[in-house]
Amino acid sequence: METATDPVGEFFRGLAGRGREPLLANVSGTLRFDLIDEEAVEHWYLTVKNGDVAVSRSDAEADAVVRTVKVVFEGMTAGKVNAMAAALRGALVPRGNLALVVSFQRLFPGPAVSRAKAGPGSGGRSTR
Amino acid sequence: MTDGLVRILEGNTFVVSDKRGDIEASATDPTGLFSFDTRFLSKWVLTVNGQRLNALSTDDLHYFEARFFLVPGTGTVYVDAKLSVIRVRAVGDGFHEELSILNHENKPVELQVRIDASSDFADLFEVKDALKKKGTYRNRIESGRLVLGYQRETYERATLISATKPAEIDENGLVFKVRIEPHGQWMTELHVVTDMGALEAALPDTRGRPSMARGLQKWIGKAPQLESSAESLKTTYQRSIVDLAALRFSPALAAGDSLPAAGLPWFMTMFGRDSIFTSLQALPFMPELAATTLRVLGTWQGSRVDDFRDEDPGRILHEMRYGEMTAFEERPHSPYYGSADATPLYVVLMDEYERWTGDSKLVRDFEPQARAALNWIGEYADLQRNGYLSYQRRNEETGLENQCWKDSWDSVSYHDGTLPGFPRATCELQGYAYDAKVRGARLARHFWRAPEFADKLEKEAAHLKRRFNRDFWVEDHGYFAVALDTDGRQVDSLTSNIGHLLWSGIVEKSKARSVVRHLMSARLFSGWGVRTLAEGEGRYNPIGYHVGTVWPFDNSIIAWGLRKYGFKDEAARVAEGILGAAQYFDGCLPEAFGGYPRQMTKYPVQYPTACSPQAWSTGAPLLLLRAILGLEPVGDNLVVDPALPISVGWLELLDIPGRWGRIDAFGRGRVDTSFRYHGQRVVATEPELAGREAAGRLIRQRTSRPADQA
Repeated sequence: METATDPVGEFFRGLAGRGREPLLANVSGTLRFDLIDEEAVEHWYLTVKNGDVAVSRSDAEADAVVRTVKVVFEGMTAGKVNAMAAALRGALVPRGNLALVVSFQRLFPGPAVSRAKAGPGSGGRSTR
Repeated sequence: MTDGLVRILEGNTFVVSDKRGDIEASATDPTGLFSFDTRFLSKWVLTVNGQRLNALSTDDLHYFEARFFLVPGTGTVYVDAKLSVIRVRAVGDGFHEELSILNHENKPVELQVRIDASSDFADLFEVKDALKKKGTYRNRIESGRLVLGYQRETYERATLISATKPAEIDENGLVFKVRIEPHGQWMTELHVVTDMGALEAALPDTRGRPSMARGLQKWIGKAPQLESSAESLKTTYQRSIVDLAALRFSPALAAGDSLPAAGLPWFMTMFGRDSIFTSLQALPFMPELAATTLRVLGTWQGSRVDDFRDEDPGRILHEMRYGEMTAFEERPHSPYYGSADATPLYVVLMDEYERWTGDSKLVRDFEPQARAALNWIGEYADLQRNGYLSYQRRNEETGLENQCWKDSWDSVSYHDGTLPGFPRATCELQGYAYDAKVRGARLARHFWRAPEFADKLEKEAAHLKRRFNRDFWVEDHGYFAVALDTDGRQVDSLTSNIGHLLWSGIVEKSKARSVVRHLMSARLFSGWGVRTLAEGEGRYNPIGYHVGTVWPFDNSIIAWGLRKYGFKDEAARVAEGILGAAQYFDGCLPEAFGGYPRQMTKYPVQYPTACSPQAWSTGAPLLLLRAILGLEPVGDNLVVDPALPISVGWLELLDIPGRWGRIDAFGRGRVDTSFRYHGQRVVATEPELAGREAAGRLIRQRTSRPADQA
């Protein structure tokens, strides 16, 4: 399905463009995401070197491979789907170096509601 | 096991059956084959010619293996039994069972041997709360196997059952038509394999791994050896080492390494707090547990604000679960972060680990995690903006109300028994935060090349200590309040928490003597150990979970704290009590036991539903040994400064691993831990409270054998 925006592309291009990602500062390795979109499979290939992320569209073998439906992945980039819960449901299938996958899922945002409550300038704290 | 159940386990897979080896679970009954928090078998019943069997004896061969000797018939007939039935069951990717039948007659027998099998695929949370399932079941026969299946949307779990001998398979079980010659024998192997659906691809392939028996022998061989004139102490030590092996849990991302899970049967999973405390207790014995704990908890460290999971950036997880309710976000354990102490304790463990092992690489690799944890304390956990770490859940439906180790609803109370509101700033949390800052400063200075950050942390620690000793100190009684409430008022009951403050070092020297006097007073010290809540408090109850029972884990930390402030004899007294209690549990200390005075009951009264073995109870004797031997890493040496209870006689701990290679420690009992009794009340002898410096310090070093630790 074509949409006006491309959240998945934005997510990956944003990663590549932002320089050293602090949450991956002690992470190195290659990760491939296979995103199933109806009949087609989109590949996103990440090379992480101490937090620096390079992104390509290769389908080469990687240290870790995550296979999921594209809509589910979009949900994760929007903070609507939790990656671990999705994996337990069988809606997302990781294989290979799982430590890499766990490190990577830390990049997904939390639910919008939690973020809104926390608000800017509160250090992330929810107001109560 | 006192409840008549037989438990065997490996990692987070375990089987709980009756003495016959049968499983007949009801909705709320914790028997079955469990793996990844899901029940894969709720029925597994053996009959011979339609008859149930009777147990002659049951042997726990190893923690992962049990043997059941059975005969057909009920009650009184077994004297006359013409058949013996032996089941040998071992856990591993489900379980494997060798079923043998021996014919003792002079003529052949024809038997119909049946196994009834079914599964409710209950989530552990459902077993606890008796909830209804939302998916559908489908049992089928597929390539000679019975497949019990369950599906809810993309969530699929299955149990695959097969046998090595021909069987007639129906949707409820397997039948063997057996003929056994006179004095002959028949045997089949039964394989029960758990299947996690799509998630199987992520799980490590465990086929061809070294046998569990060999793994266990290797584990025991690596641990220091203990020799003592006290036989019971040797038993307790061996039991702790073996139970710790059983409680090892290897999360999929740890590449085969393991960390301590919390306890059997409900808690065979990662718990931030339990894994950290147990790793601390076991550091002088199995430092590799701490390394895995630091790596795995660090990899899962919180990174975002998520109210459902009570997650914040930098927060260390509380509990991970893998069942259906977690998968569908009906429970927040994917993972759940609602713990206020795991985060500062993470930094404490990292520093203590380096001091023992010299593994500076791990400290450098996980610098971002340690920094984020330190940042969490001030940035996310100071809920009242008053400089104190406090907690209040954001997930009000399924989150945890009390996020400290005493997590029951009534564990924090005023003297009159009323409960404070939230947020709650309990005292031991301030101690942990202080210790994390002090230790974080050492790591920053020596390993992260961040002297300014170290200065900042040290300043914050000193400031916290000063304010804490003013705000939490109950002037009239001379101890620290268990918490501050939302108005900054002291929650003034006397609790064991003050012992943790000694361990953290937040207590000003001038106040230590008074704190120790309270810990060893008849109100807190039962003779077996320090009670969670003192006699005379409004909510005191000697069999109340956190309001009067004695927790071995709690006492091990208290003993370490007493040593830190130089109160060696008092540490020995606490150690004598808990190690003495262990004798009554065959060396396997329960989570908690009754707070009745020792003189009254003569033996420790087990808390009704305490789970056992439990990791931090299993680790308690280890930390107590450290405390009475006075083991302390100083630079590249291990200082040994024993102060043993007389009842121990003599004690040798050989091949203690660490940055020094391997070192032996020796000691002789010299501390008199006997009591004076007044009626039913125990009065501990008044502690001699001098500002004693460690006398007769002993440094032994042997470098011929390198430690296994990297």
